[in-house]
Amino acid sequence: MATSSSLKKRKAITHDVPEASDVDSDIEFGDGLLEGILSQSEDDSEDSEQDEESEAEEDEEDLDELSGLDSDEIPSDDGGLEEDGDGGMVKNNRAKVVSTDSAIGQIPLIEDDDDKPNYTVVEDANGGERYVYDEIDPVYDSDDSDVAAAMNTIGNIPLSFYDSYPHIGYDINGKKIMRPAAGEALDALLDSIEVPKGWTGLTDPATGKPRNLSQEELEILRRIQKNELTEDGYDPYPDMVEYFTGIEEKMPLSSAPEPKRRFLPSKHEAKRIMKIVRAIREGRILPYRPPEERQEEEDEEVHYDIWQDEQPRPEHVMNIPAPKAAPPGYDLSYNPPPEYLPSKAEKQAWESADPEDREKEYLPTGYDSLRKVPAYDKIINERFERSLDLYLAPRVRKNRLNIDPASLLPKLPKPEELKPFPTVSQTLFKGHEGRVRSLAIDPSGNWLASGGDDGTVRVWELHTGRQIWKAKIGDEEAVNVVRWRPVKDEVILSAAAGEEIFLIVPPPIANPEEEIRSRELLDTGFGYAKNETQNLTANGARKDPAGKWIRPGARLEDEGVLIKITVRSTVKTISWHKRGDFFSTVSPTGQRSAVAIHTLSKHLTQIPFRKLLGAPQTAQFHPSRPLFFVATQRTIRSYDLQKQELVKIIQPGARWISSFDIHSGGDNLIVGSYDRRLLWHDLDLSTRPYKTMRFHQKAIRAVKYHKGGFPLFADASDDGTLQIFHGKVVSDMMENATIVPVKVLKGHKVRSALGVMDIDWHPREPWVASAGADGTCRLWM
Amino acid sequence: MDVTMNDVNSGQGRVQVRFVTSSPDIELPEGKRQLLVPTDAGRYKLSQLLNSDYMLDTQAPIPFDFLTNGTFLRTTLDEYLVSQGLSSETAVELQYVRSLIPPLFEASFEHDDWVSAVDVLSSTSPATTWGNSTISLGQERILSGSYDGLLRVWNKSGQAIATGPPASAGGHTAAIKSAKFISPTQIASAGMDRTVRVWKYKESPDHMSAELKPILELYGHEKLIYSIAVHGPSNRILSAGGDGKIGIWSMDAASMPAAPATLLPSALSTKRRKLGTSTSTPQRGPLSLINAHAFPVSSIIFNPLDPTVAYSASEDHTVKTFDLTTSTLVDTRTTMHALKSLTALPGISSQLLAAGTMARHITLLDPRVQAKNTQVMTLRGHKNIVTSIKPDPESNYGLVSASADGTCRVWDLRSTRQGTKEEGGVVGEPVYAIERQKEKGSQVFDVCWDNDVGIVSAGEDKMVQINRGKGVTRPGEILSN
Repeated sequence: MATSSSLKKRKAITHDVPEASDVDSDIEFGDGLLEGILSQSEDDSEDSEQDEESEAEEDEEDLDELSGLDSDEIPSDDGGLEEDGDGGMVKNNRAKVVSTDSAIGQIPLIEDDDDKPNYTVVEDANGGERYVYDEIDPVYDSDDSDVAAAMNTIGNIPLSFYDSYPHIGYDINGKKIMRPAAGEALDALLDSIEVPKGWTGLTDPATGKPRNLSQEELEILRRIQKNELTEDGYDPYPDMVEYFTGIEEKMPLSSAPEPKRRFLPSKHEAKRIMKIVRAIREGRILPYRPPEERQEEEDEEVHYDIWQDEQPRPEHVMNIPAPKAAPPGYDLSYNPPPEYLPSKAEKQAWESADPEDREKEYLPTGYDSLRKVPAYDKIINERFERSLDLYLAPRVRKNRLNIDPASLLPKLPKPEELKPFPTVSQTLFKGHEGRVRSLAIDPSGNWLASGGDDGTVRVWELHTGRQIWKAKIGDEEAVNVVRWRPVKDEVILSAAAGEEIFLIVPPPIANPEEEIRSRELLDTGFGYAKNETQNLTANGARKDPAGKWIRPGARLEDEGVLIKITVRSTVKTISWHKRGDFFSTVSPTGQRSAVAIHTLSKHLTQIPFRKLLGAPQTAQFHPSRPLFFVATQRTIRSYDLQKQELVKIIQPGARWISSFDIHSGGDNLIVGSYDRRLLWHDLDLSTRPYKTMRFHQKAIRAVKYHKGGFPLFADASDDGTLQIFHGKVVSDMMENATIVPVKVLKGHKVRSALGVMDIDWHPREPWVASAGADGTCRLWM
Repeated sequence: MDVTMNDVNSGQGRVQVRFVTSSPDIELPEGKRQLLVPTDAGRYKLSQLLNSDYMLDTQAPIPFDFLTNGTFLRTTLDEYLVSQGLSSETAVELQYVRSLIPPLFEASFEHDDWVSAVDVLSSTSPATTWGNSTISLGQERILSGSYDGLLRVWNKSGQAIATGPPASAGGHTAAIKSAKFISPTQIASAGMDRTVRVWKYKESPDHMSAELKPILELYGHEKLIYSIAVHGPSNRILSAGGDGKIGIWSMDAASMPAAPATLLPSALSTKRRKLGTSTSTPQRGPLSLINAHAFPVSSIIFNPLDPTVAYSASEDHTVKTFDLTTSTLVDTRTTMHALKSLTALPGISSQLLAAGTMARHITLLDPRVQAKNTQVMTLRGHKNIVTSIKPDPESNYGLVSASADGTCRVWDLRSTRQGTKEEGGVVGEPVYAIERQKEKGSQVFDVCWDNDVGIVSAGEDKMVQINRGKGVTRPGEILSN
């Protein structure tokens, strides 16, 4: 049986091969060897199972069987001789098989043959080797050169016809297909190999000897191959021992008595049940109602269709067109023209800038050729950012509020339209040593008087900056204030240094007529003052007079300083009344006598306030009405001099008022404060400022209106700048004043935190003069 | 001529040019005026061409400037044609004028104090021509008035030939603001002491020293005097006062009224003033005192062609015209700014006035009564008050201005451009700027432009500075050649 089956198998395999020879050979070894194999191999069933497997596997199996043979040979010594003979038979058999193999699938062998003459080696001109390949002939109707080229074209005739020839047929080109010469050569090779049992080909590094597998190891390998457990004697299906069953035991494992709960009804459950029972009794739980009734109820309910008024909407409202990318410019080129390439400084600026601040996201770079352009280094970053955008960004239409910020600003005229106003420093007045504390332009507009820390009063020619006259009136004290008497007929300058006020007629600028008039005016009061003091003594009032009017002495008189008034404390400001007969002085440290009003024609000094709230800073007469304004640190009070009463308290809201000025119209007031604020008051409107401006970095020292018809005012600050404002006052009560800052004048240097100390406007032109802590005065026009 | 030009540039485009000039001494003969000129020729090449043998055949080359349509040709002809949209077929008329030579520094004369006034006596100066006297070349005199109240007369080598007497000897008691030669032997000056003084100037025979003797003291102004103008033939002096008044004075002591007593320094009876007592200079009052302006009069001039007409500029923004025979105000022109200086440009029509403003520019005015457009042109470039302006003695279109910004600028009225919207009208730009040699940026108070001496300027740096374009060939010299 076994023989016949194996025969069948062989036939099935080699049905293409000429049968006669094959059968012969089969019969030859079939009797001897196959029998032995079957009988000696442990797994007989396997053979039949593998019947339909491919020939290559068959081959391997044959080899296996060979090795199996070998392994079996060792224990059974009796078949040794026979084995030798059988071995030769096996070889024969193998040769046959291989030959049939090649007969069917000649492809590899013939290809090998064709490969060899594929090229010829020729000596080239240099004497080296040169391979000259044959022409590749493509197969007809095929674009694949890998397709098997050779096919035996002998047709359906037995191969045995060619047994006597060295070839076995012809290919499509009519070339001979040579018989593969492998038969004997393979046999010879196999003969030469004697594989010992358990041979691995490995060498034991410890002993240096070949490492072979032991019998046990081979057994393990065999079991693994068979998917068996490698352990010997393991039973996969042992008998089950039943420890827990549902059958009640006669002899239970535990002898514990049964708990009470097993045979007592549960109180808790009874409680819960009673609860439900009670609820049913009280009607809280209603019995089941058939579903028909409920449906009826549902029918009575009113349903509102909230979508009934819905308008059809277009689909995909989210269609926001993507912003169009700007077309690439020259600087995006890999080799932009040199003018697009950044300079070193630009490159550095770009690199040092924060990525968000950069104008361009890239730096134009030039490469000689496309080949030198490196890979884009930000690809990962950008992909990642894009992914984040897609993942995190909600797809929501944002309704941007498009308001031009400029439209929110109030409509103000442009500074160019408000010309003229001073713009440049025109004349520099140099000469003072130390700060210039105060200056004033005379009523005719030709002369500038200034006084400073060096204790001198100087008079300058306004347009050339030439010093015309000077007098030293303060020996130790600085000249705190100089003011001209605001009357054109006489030339009288007032100045204060320390506790002394001087009245001066500077000789070079007064013509003889004027000088005589001025001197007469100053001298008339002496007689009156004498009478006055006599009167006082007669009344027995032993009071020290508020001010002593005397001649300052020959030295000063020669220079033009004609009268000296001594008061009780240091005078900081002088303010003349418009008509030129009164002037007020303020000495902030003077306590009760801080504010004094002097009468020129009578040489009289009066203290108008018995009691003062706060330290007064400055005082001024109203330009047209008999009002007198006194500024303390926080408020400005206006008094009626005729009725002798308080009229108004103006509260600018500043912490420390430095100066103020009254508009020539009389209804507006500007206040400058040491806390950097400039405040515009409309006296008719409110006691609070109409406008607060805070444009300076440091304290404001002086503010002044232009008194000659231009709608200008200016302030001077410790930050070394003057600011010029256009401030137009309209007579219409309904209209507010227009205030526009028009110019910042810079030029004075800041010395020990002091910048510009005082300013004054030209009486008729839009020119302003400023006194600086740097020892200079400037005329701006 | 065409042939020569063909040789020079056969490959270039050419344009028909007609050369004309207003100076008869350098006029081309009729046949040579038309010329084909390569279009790439600029000013220099055209100037070379005109100086060549074929054309003017000048002994020494005269640098020329070329005017087309009243403006200077600053580009090549080609660019000019393109900018004007003209084809090269059109004939271009080029007016050629002697170009202004950059005025180079020549000398400066040092004073003790700021110099506020300067005047020149030379063979071509008005003081010489009035009196028909002659000043030989090299004997020019420069008069300077200083803030120390002294007048000085200098020769060209920088020696002070004469120094005016100090205040104690009849001199000015305060700074001098203006000084002028009336004739080679007479000088007038005025200043901050509110007086006009007339001096007799007499040189010693060797011309190395001279004497200044006061002849007249003229009182009448209540404030300082900013400017005076003199006219020799009619013996008149005009003064512009800070009191807004214009004084008309004569140099003839006999014809003048007595000085107003209140304005004399002797009116002050105080002991400290011992002024003007030691000398016995005649003191006189004004022939007439016109109360013309509301604010100080900053400058006054005679009409150069008609000595009975005077113009004044004032800080009250106006230029006023006066008829001196009747001492009346004829016309008032109001400008936008306070004015500081004034001059008449005699060459154009004798009626064009240039007024320097406090607002840093020069306004050209037409003072004729019938002229409607008063403001003709604006010259912009100064950075501070324009303190003084004088016309170019050689050219009808040139003028020089001094400014408190420390420069004198030379202007040519033909070098103009259309002003921007803000500036408006036609705007001129300076041709040259002369810096102060010693102290850059110090104010310049007065300037004088003389044919023989050059541009003489005085300023805050206590210097009188002479600048001159070297190598300027004068018309007279060419004719003699």
